[in-house]
Amino acid sequence: MSVIDARPPVPVADDFAVHVRGLRMSFGGTEVLHGLDFEVRYGEVLCLLGPNGAGKTTTLEILEGFRAPAGGRVRVLGLDPAAQPARLRERVGMVLQECGFPRQVRVAELIDLWRGYYPSPRPLGELLEAVDLAGARNTQVRRLSGGQRRRLDFALALAGDPELIFLDEPTTGFDPEARRRCWAAIENLRGLGKTILLTTHYLEEAERLADRIAILRTGRIELAGTTHEVAVRAGLATRISFTTPSALRRGQIPLPDGIDLTIRGPESVCHTANAAMTLRLLLAWATEHGLGDLDGLAVTAPRLEDTYLQLTSGDHG
Amino acid sequence: MSRTVRLAVRQALLEQRSFWRSAEYALFTFAFPLMILLLIGAANVGSHLPGTHIKNTTVFVPGILAFSVIVAAYVNLGSKVAVLRHDGVLKRIRTTPLSAGAYLGGLLASTVVTAILITACTGLIGWLAFGAGPRPGELLALAGGLVLGTVCFAALGLAVSSVITSAESAGPVAYASFLPIAIISGVFDPTFSGLPAWLSRLVAIFPVKALAEVLQNAYAIRPFPAWDLVNLGLWTAVGGAFAVWRFRWHN
Repeated sequence: MSVIDARPPVPVADDFAVHVRGLRMSFGGTEVLHGLDFEVRYGEVLCLLGPNGAGKTTTLEILEGFRAPAGGRVRVLGLDPAAQPARLRERVGMVLQECGFPRQVRVAELIDLWRGYYPSPRPLGELLEAVDLAGARNTQVRRLSGGQRRRLDFALALAGDPELIFLDEPTTGFDPEARRRCWAAIENLRGLGKTILLTTHYLEEAERLADRIAILRTGRIELAGTTHEVAVRAGLATRISFTTPSALRRGQIPLPDGIDLTIRGPESVCHTANAAMTLRLLLAWATEHGLGDLDGLAVTAPRLEDTYLQLTSGDHG
Repeated sequence: MSRTVRLAVRQALLEQRSFWRSAEYALFTFAFPLMILLLIGAANVGSHLPGTHIKNTTVFVPGILAFSVIVAAYVNLGSKVAVLRHDGVLKRIRTTPLSAGAYLGGLLASTVVTAILITACTGLIGWLAFGAGPRPGELLALAGGLVLGTVCFAALGLAVSSVITSAESAGPVAYASFLPIAIISGVFDPTFSGLPAWLSRLVAIFPVKALAEVLQNAYAIRPFPAWDLVNLGLWTAVGGAFAVWRFRWHN
């Protein structure tokens, strides 16, 4: 889908594309962001994951320079978004929620108009190819399907050849097919070396797209890291299971020492923070009692979904 | 600076292209004043203002010119900006480095083009169909009045766009907020009179009658419309100030 070549991001004073420390925000005396710390490295996809109302869009609006924060330090590409929004917008592409197009304009016409806004735009043909809209270049925007409109959103966000791209819930309201195509487009952007900060409340999306995840909940970053780190830091255990050997079920052999094994009929299960150690013990125990390699042995890493559900259980919305 | 102008021109060209692409909208914008011009004009052919030798049409045609300016500048620009805001187009513009001046400049330039086209049509048809043209030597005064009217009502259009909350109500609000005033200002009826004193005073406050009188002065000899010019100037200032104060990039 891509014909765009990757250009290396320009390093700035900060080593991070986005650097946020102690970010606070209040609306009408109510604090909605309680001191956020997070950062996005150059070339990575960071996903700000959280339920509706967690403050994702507000955070993004501050990074985009649409709102001035109540407190804390924010740097985007080394710039202060609230103080230098115009300079920032030459280097950042944004896909906002619910952003319309002018009526009665054609696809290529609109992209070309947008290119004119930037100092060093991408060529029109490249942009049309990159979002798979070359065939619709002369279509009026109002006749595009929902998925095509979203891809046009991307084309406009890419028109200025940005170093950093903000995507605010890019697939909300999409059917599964449109969502998959949108994901492919985002993966394409990542392939170009673009730094991407995306918000979502879909776990699947975060798991699929993100290099790192920050879970935002009621105005706080609960956890941040890679999918695996987040799950581990949430204190979730790796699950090890195997088919219960008949000898064990009949009580003819003892339970393994040092392992919290539960026999659930045909399946035996244990949860552990140290999978390697537990497996070693388990296999030694199996060899000792002539159980071989244990039938149906399965090791399941803690999943983001488990972490997320554990964190947000009790939240509404 | 030249970059801002270039971007504004590009924006204006795209606005014009979109305007003419929605044929029914463009047609209606032009057809409304022209239909009124032809229908009411035909009813006034041969009549004179009571007690004078001034033909009704020489007062009526510049009245419709004023009406055309208001449709192009106030109704079109006001409802357009309201729809752009409602649709999130303004919000999207805000994500780019395009300056507010270049964008709004483009919208205003496009409005001026529409206003020129529509007043040219109205003036030409008024002249060809009813023989009503500006007095010799008053063409410049007429052009000045049209420019002042366009600026004034564009400012008011921007102002009213900020109080319109939905795309659906944009057109109706824009029309309903000036048509009643246009009617009691006598824009459609050269012989219109007999308003109660308080209503006449109210009409004199609004800029519709003021613009009509400024333009009528270029067609028929009347007292120099000094107060009307002051009136338009004040409304331009008030409309402009309100537009700037209340302008929002999104709902």
